[in-house]
Amino acid sequence: MNKFFILASGVAIAALATSASAHHSAVQFDFTKQVPIKGTVTHFRAINPHMQLILRVKDAKGEHLVEFEGHSTNNMYRNGYRKGMVNEGDVITINVAPLKNGSEGGYVVSADLAGGTHFGMVSRSLDAAKIQQQAEGK
Amino acid sequence: MMRKLSLAVAATLLTGVALAAAPQHPDFTGVWTNAGAPAMGGTTNAAANVVLPMLPGPKARVDAYTKLVQPLGETPGGWCLGTGLPGSMLGSGGYPMEILQREEQINIVYEAHNEARRVYFGARNAPQEDRVPGRNGYSTGHWEGDTLVVETDNLVDQIDQRFAHSDEAKVVERYHLEPKLDDKGRRVLVADMTLTDPKFYSAPVTAQKRWAQVPNGRLLPYECAEEGWNARLAEIAKKAGVAVP
Repeated sequence: MNKFFILASGVAIAALATSASAHHSAVQFDFTKQVPIKGTVTHFRAINPHMQLILRVKDAKGEHLVEFEGHSTNNMYRNGYRKGMVNEGDVITINVAPLKNGSEGGYVVSADLAGGTHFGMVSRSLDAAKIQQQAEGK
Repeated sequence: MMRKLSLAVAATLLTGVALAAAPQHPDFTGVWTNAGAPAMGGTTNAAANVVLPMLPGPKARVDAYTKLVQPLGETPGGWCLGTGLPGSMLGSGGYPMEILQREEQINIVYEAHNEARRVYFGARNAPQEDRVPGRNGYSTGHWEGDTLVVETDNLVDQIDQRFAHSDEAKVVERYHLEPKLDDKGRRVLVADMTLTDPKFYSAPVTAQKRWAQVPNGRLLPYECAEEGWNARLAEIAKKAGVAVP
């Protein structure tokens, strides 16, 4: 891999990880929606008040890093997460409530991990039928 | 004669034992969670529809605070600060609470931020001059039949929660068990709250929270400040020109 890319990614991850300690009030996220996003984990901390996650994603913009936050450690444990489930380098799909202002990122509601492991909550604002429709691209 | 006396003594003893064994009041000891659906995004579900008759001066302060922090998404909880009364007793971000009940003192721990309250009864109470102000104030309790009444004062001025209040606010909570179990077979504890604060509100503010007991429940530890300390440690190390040990 290109050394410049590795260095740039490292700097970007460090910068994002610092800002990942910033956290958003829940009112900034749209919990009536759930968007699946697939990527490779470059940073993950299960902490309170909010989990920190950075994924390397590939989309129309190319390959880049996106920062997310999510539930507290406590809520994650109550919804199936256990220590060691998410590690750097893992390819995972997260389901996020997007930011209302349209920025990249979002609030991780649930995650689908390698091997079929799943943890997370379902927003009570979003019923199961809608989730299915969204998953099928309808 | 002796037989009658023996029977009388035995009956008295048995009655005394029965009275001593019977609980004086309902026992709320245990872990309690939201009686409704799980909360998402930190809503308490108890406060959503409460109208706050806030006076103009305090409202201007709250609006200024909201304008300052909301665009950044900053909250006290995001900095590991507990909600404070009455937000804590109205659900504390949707997390469960634990009650440890003794006759002379009731301890309440809200899982979020390990927020702890102590309710003192009778002679256990501290004199007024010894009561330390705080976000959850000082609480004293008494029973009215099977209803636990908790009165709290010595609150600090707070505009960083939905039920903003001055340092002269007083909160009265009334707790009682619903007579029937809920549809999941759980005991339900109802908390009716009244906030009185003539400096902030034109009328008392009321809200209700329903808690459902979690059989053999356990609170999870809520560690929160470690990340902030780690960041500070990294800052110190960087300034000193050394790696974080």
